[in-house]
Amino acid sequence: MKEYLRKALRRETPFFVGIPAFIWLVLYFYVPLTFIVLLSFLLHDSASLLQGLTITHYLSFLTYPYVWIFLRSLFFAFTVSCACLCIGYSLAYFLAFKAGRFKTFFLFLVIIPFFTNFLLHIYAWFFVLERNGFLNNLLQFLGIIKEPLHFLNTAGATLVVMVYCYLPFMVLPLYSILEKFDRKLIESSLDLGATAWQTFTRITIPLTISGIQSGFFLVFIPAFGEFVIPGLVGGDKSLFVGTVISTSMLGAHTMADGAAFTVLTGVLLVVVAALLLCVIRSFERKGNV
Amino acid sequence: MIRSIQLKNVKKSYGDESILDGLSLTIPSGKFFALLGPSGCGKTTILRLIGGFETVDAGTIYLGDEDITDKPINKRRINTVFQNYALFPHMNVFDNVAYSQTIKKVDPATIKEKVFKILKTVHLESHAYKAINQLSGGQQQRVALARAIINEPEVLLLDEPLAALDFKLREKMLIELVDLQEKLGTTFIYVTHDQFEALTVADQMAIMNYDGEIEQIGTPKEIYEFPNSSFVAKFVGSTNILQGIINSLNGASYMDSGDLGNILIDISRPVTLSGRSQSNGPEWLKDGQEILLSIRPEKILISKKPREGFSNMLKGMVESIVYHGRSTQYNIRLLNNDKLQVFEQNEEHFPQEVIDYDDEVFVYWQKENAVVLER
Repeated sequence: MKEYLRKALRRETPFFVGIPAFIWLVLYFYVPLTFIVLLSFLLHDSASLLQGLTITHYLSFLTYPYVWIFLRSLFFAFTVSCACLCIGYSLAYFLAFKAGRFKTFFLFLVIIPFFTNFLLHIYAWFFVLERNGFLNNLLQFLGIIKEPLHFLNTAGATLVVMVYCYLPFMVLPLYSILEKFDRKLIESSLDLGATAWQTFTRITIPLTISGIQSGFFLVFIPAFGEFVIPGLVGGDKSLFVGTVISTSMLGAHTMADGAAFTVLTGVLLVVVAALLLCVIRSFERKGNV
Repeated sequence: MIRSIQLKNVKKSYGDESILDGLSLTIPSGKFFALLGPSGCGKTTILRLIGGFETVDAGTIYLGDEDITDKPINKRRINTVFQNYALFPHMNVFDNVAYSQTIKKVDPATIKEKVFKILKTVHLESHAYKAINQLSGGQQQRVALARAIINEPEVLLLDEPLAALDFKLREKMLIELVDLQEKLGTTFIYVTHDQFEALTVADQMAIMNYDGEIEQIGTPKEIYEFPNSSFVAKFVGSTNILQGIINSLNGASYMDSGDLGNILIDISRPVTLSGRSQSNGPEWLKDGQEILLSIRPEKILISKKPREGFSNMLKGMVESIVYHGRSTQYNIRLLNNDKLQVFEQNEEHFPQEVIDYDDEVFVYWQKENAVVLER
């Protein structure tokens, strides 16, 4: 019996090791999430918290402006992810294959932003984008423009800063997978008569698709809920999902609305992500783009 | 059309390290050519230069009389079988083999026909739709081979293709490779550090030394029986090297080897000087010339009794015996403390003469079976 127990214990060690993380996840993710879902169905007014269940919170969001906000967030997240993928893939490719002995140094440059505060990154962009900022000065110096342009408080500024802030999350998973990539496969493809581009699309991309996938979602999902960057550099002209949620949740009477919008967009995001996953996976199966 | 490969004064270095310094080599067309050398001698570099994976620092590479030095890798009709096969792990056997045809946009029906024809040649037709990781090492090797020959290359480069296989399978694959080469008529260039593989497959072989120079080119038999330097003699097979000074007495040449006395030698055969390709003939073998004598262990006879009819006889003591199955290796200590290896065929279950440790023995060989080398 004792022997049996000991064997069982040893066999189940991975389970016991996992317990703390699981408890953590339950306490700080599943429990709050349940509260949010419950809250989104609660009917209440200023006098008492609970007066019954309702779906009115949800219905209010199925109107034109909110659909538009949802689509805008989706579009921004998608654009940012795609831009990060293009820049990040080139950068990771360079780091893994071409950087040689400077590899560690360049990788360090990619990681440095993690050592500084997130808000600081955004404020740093003010110096670049503002009216007398670096970009305007540069363009004027080069004679491309005469009058300083308006960069701050535009959608373009939001996109640029978001791409900048999320880039490391794309580069790191791509780098780690490209680093392990067997370069003999590239040589072998060229040897068999493929051009560099054919080799890239038929061999390199399909074999690094797991890196593309994790990088893409590491960027896409947080970018979808982003509200700090649009708030600071995008002006208050355009609303995003994250902005709506944060203002609703902070308002006294609108918490339930915020909860409903959170649940609604969360579910829709899962659907969109699943569709995107299918698209990305299909590149791997086909082996060509 | 199958054309020959010619390298002229090819130089290649990585950083400060010079790998090839003015190497010239002609590889005849339609032959199975083996490039044999120790690890790090630059043989793989030669292969990578021919294949187009690397560019030369100086010199020219010709395919027939076409200069292909700067021709891009994907335009050369030269294909490679890589050491670890480099099969595409996300494709099955069929797609791997079909790869070169697919990118050429050959129509699918033709591709299918071609792929199955090739797969049949390498005995893999029943595995066409398996994933690469479902195959054994030997099967992966065949896929790599099939993938490389479907393009009908003029030259097939094989970079230690059997290194990852076990001995039995390697022997089998070597025979298959020889058959395949005969069937296709393509020039095969086979790089290996394993002399057994090279001797087995090659029509012609080149031996490279540590400095990235070609020591000798010839048929396996020429290389083995008549090495032109002590490096080749030692690198290909095992050998015994004795040293001494040429002398002649009453019209017979012998080697004065000090403590071991006079050893009769045969200098009638032309000898090539090592490292240099010109044949000097026997002229340099003058009296007083310091030389080495290479005697293959299997060309030496061993006995406890003195025998008649041999040019040379030495006395020694059995230091150790290694049983190899088909032969037995005797390590003999000669009178001057030099060691001598002797291989004897195990012809009988119960030999008449049993030789044991510490036995006093005589060793014999005919002078024609020893090779005179430059010291």
